[in-house]
Amino acid sequence: MSVKKVGVKPQTLIEKIFFLDFMKGLSTTIKHLFKRTITVTFPYEVLQPTIRFRGVHGLRNVDGTESDDFMSWVKKLKIKPPEMGETRCIACKFCQAACPVPELFTIKAEKLNVPEDHPHHGLKVLAVFDMDLSKCMFCGLCTQACPTDCIIHTDIYDLSAYTRRNWVLNKEMLSQIADDFVSRRRDEKFDEKSKWREDQPLWPQDEEDLRVRAKLWDGNIPKLGPNYFDQQEK
Amino acid sequence: MSWISLDKAKKLEEQFAYAKVGNSNEYVYVEVPKENLIEFLTFLKESPDYQFKMFIDLTIVDHDVKSDPRFQGVIILFSPEFKERIIVKTWATNEELPTLTTLWSGAKWAEREAYDMFGIRFEGHENLVRMFMWETYPYYPLRKDFPLKGYEEVELPSLNEVERGDQLEGMFNYSRMHTAIPTLEDLEITQKARMPKKSSQIVLNWGPLHPGTHGTIWFLFDLDGEYVQQCDIIIGQLHRGVEKIAENIGYQQFIPYTDRMDYIAAINENHAYVIAAEKLMGIYDRVPEKAKWIRTMMAELSRINSHLLWLGTYALDLGALTMFLYTFREREKIMDIYEGITGARFTINYFRIGGVFADLPYGALDAIEAFIKDFPQRINDYERLLTRNRIWLSRNKDVCIITEEDVYDYGLTGAVARASGVPYDLRKIDKYDAYGEVEFDVPVGEKGDSYDRYLVRMEEMRQSARIVQQCIERLRKFSKNDPYFFQPEDPKKLKISIDGRGMKLPEGEVYASTDNPRGELGFYIFNKKASIKPYRVRIRSGAFYNLQVFTKAIIGRPIADAITLLSTLDPVVGETDR
Ligand code: SF4
Ligand code: SF4
Repeated sequence: MSVKKVGVKPQTLIEKIFFLDFMKGLSTTIKHLFKRTITVTFPYEVLQPTIRFRGVHGLRNVDGTESDDFMSWVKKLKIKPPEMGETRCIACKFCQAACPVPELFTIKAEKLNVPEDHPHHGLKVLAVFDMDLSKCMFCGLCTQACPTDCIIHTDIYDLSAYTRRNWVLNKEMLSQIADDFVSRRRDEKFDEKSKWREDQPLWPQDEEDLRVRAKLWDGNIPKLGPNYFDQQEK
Repeated sequence: MSWISLDKAKKLEEQFAYAKVGNSNEYVYVEVPKENLIEFLTFLKESPDYQFKMFIDLTIVDHDVKSDPRFQGVIILFSPEFKERIIVKTWATNEELPTLTTLWSGAKWAEREAYDMFGIRFEGHENLVRMFMWETYPYYPLRKDFPLKGYEEVELPSLNEVERGDQLEGMFNYSRMHTAIPTLEDLEITQKARMPKKSSQIVLNWGPLHPGTHGTIWFLFDLDGEYVQQCDIIIGQLHRGVEKIAENIGYQQFIPYTDRMDYIAAINENHAYVIAAEKLMGIYDRVPEKAKWIRTMMAELSRINSHLLWLGTYALDLGALTMFLYTFREREKIMDIYEGITGARFTINYFRIGGVFADLPYGALDAIEAFIKDFPQRINDYERLLTRNRIWLSRNKDVCIITEEDVYDYGLTGAVARASGVPYDLRKIDKYDAYGEVEFDVPVGEKGDSYDRYLVRMEEMRQSARIVQQCIERLRKFSKNDPYFFQPEDPKKLKISIDGRGMKLPEGEVYASTDNPRGELGFYIFNKKASIKPYRVRIRSGAFYNLQVFTKAIIGRPIADAITLLSTLDPVVGETDR
């Protein structure tokens, strides 16, 4: 086992008399005096959260980018085939099963009330989908469990509220949040089958964001390149 | 992991007729009757062939209400001489066990915890009071017959209800009834019980909410003028019963809870847990290489992150404000990288039993490399400011010396042990994940004073940077198609998933630990039968044991040194309390 002894020589007389230790320390401080500011002046400058950021949840709607097995899941759970713009949620409760705090979900499906000869007879739709975000840990397990890529994390992080009531989001709200997020950042995060894109960069690559982010990297933000030898340059 | 070999343990069986040797997975345990426990442990500690002189952990397993005897004590010891570990088990008949404090002072708190959580009485313990709960609390929460929700017996409406008239009744499972909370009177009784004999005039309370205590720790100092005569610590303000939660939740589902223990180094907490669970599952050796390297790299980055916070707040406490600003600048970069890779900055939940949940995003290695290239220079900057500064020297040199004996006696681990000259580093001893393949030195101090603890941590950051650099080089050689998550040969037999649904772990028991920024974090998982929830999870917290030595090292020192000592021990309350 390689062991390294640490230790520092005692202060020499010269160091003591001429206050060399203070001088050295001060020189560091003075050096920093002439460096660039690294603070991001929130809220005037806002740093976009990274692509994988785990913020407030959203429920995605059907928009033609579902994965290939989406319809088979819908059939399996006897859900009315959703049309464009309707929720992807099939009330399978996988998210709840994967959640470390399962009681934060309330998910209910309802049988459609249609006559027997209707093609949708006997099928169900999602009736209730409530999430109590005050109990959420933002761990991401629910999004990984969802078979239809319905529940997602968006980049919203400010969810302060005056009352606990406001932390409970229902399915309309969740859909709205997801729609908003998808319209802003879909292509950055998901591929055309709603899976995570393989080439997601570490952080957003738009210019304004890079400019702000460069601040906290001392004005010297690293250029992103491929990780592995067979990964393609972007 | 380095356990005593079965053959060597069998020799114990020959020597002591009452000892029974068994093994589970890779580790070896010895069962002895309660009456012979002390004799047996004394032998283990003192015999030159074994020398198990370092105390690691003591805990209790509740074998359900119906079983008789019901409680079993589990003691983990380490032999620094042979670099091996052993587990000693004994049945606590009549809910009693002999105290180990005569052999190891470190058992003092562990026994108090066992008493607090299971109601096991330890004969001969000098002051067997509760550890986390207040003195008048009537239950023993970790017993199997104590419900997960607790007993809801106090009405406690929400402020919204009281002040805004906002009726929350009926919303989700919101309920006005809460589990018991201590009243001021209860706290007073607790305080008296913790320090029954005062030796001088003044008892100083420090905490539980004080910026200098870095969390909710409540110190009691019995002061003679400026000098501390006696000291005790009341912790538990952040006790959330993490062990109880673990026993009632799926295996992957527990990982986010470990984030919330040592929240400064969340990744390292994940690390210890996933390794323990992988070992229990028997897949540890087959976890993909790439995942192991990623985990090693992230764990070391997290160590740097944690030490930076330590350095910043420590210097801040001793009056060097600028340090805090400098270290937070570097921390911010690490957090930024974390956010990009895992999606969260603080409570990360990136590791999974079987690997990690996602591959590195495009450009992650470049960003980490840029940081690591620049970092050694930053440490030099910090050192220029502090290391030879005369104020720094006089506040740290020869302050609160912790000897090598103390390390073994109290079960100190991590940088605290290394600063006292004990090269106890699990990364070298166990070589978990990719640590066997990277080169680094273990920094050790000579004296064990606060200054040594400072120097050791500074050097650790340099070594961590070295490890990360090697990880980057190795990771670049992987292909983008290499798996980052374990794939079983037969998914029907062994179900394992990133989201953890339906995962079952086999019967058995395991103890695995990693070297965290705050010392050894060990997970002891005990499974009676294959199940989706562990039967018993014990978390051996490095911060908990390291904090215990505070009560000894501060004796005879002026009160101002309490700040230095606490900062250099660097406990995190989330982990001490769990
Ligand atoms: S992020 Fe985690 S805690 Fe929150 S709802 Fe999803 S699984 Fe549950
Ligand atoms: S896992 Fe997805 S589809 Fe299933 S209930 Fe949850 S959000 Fe809906």
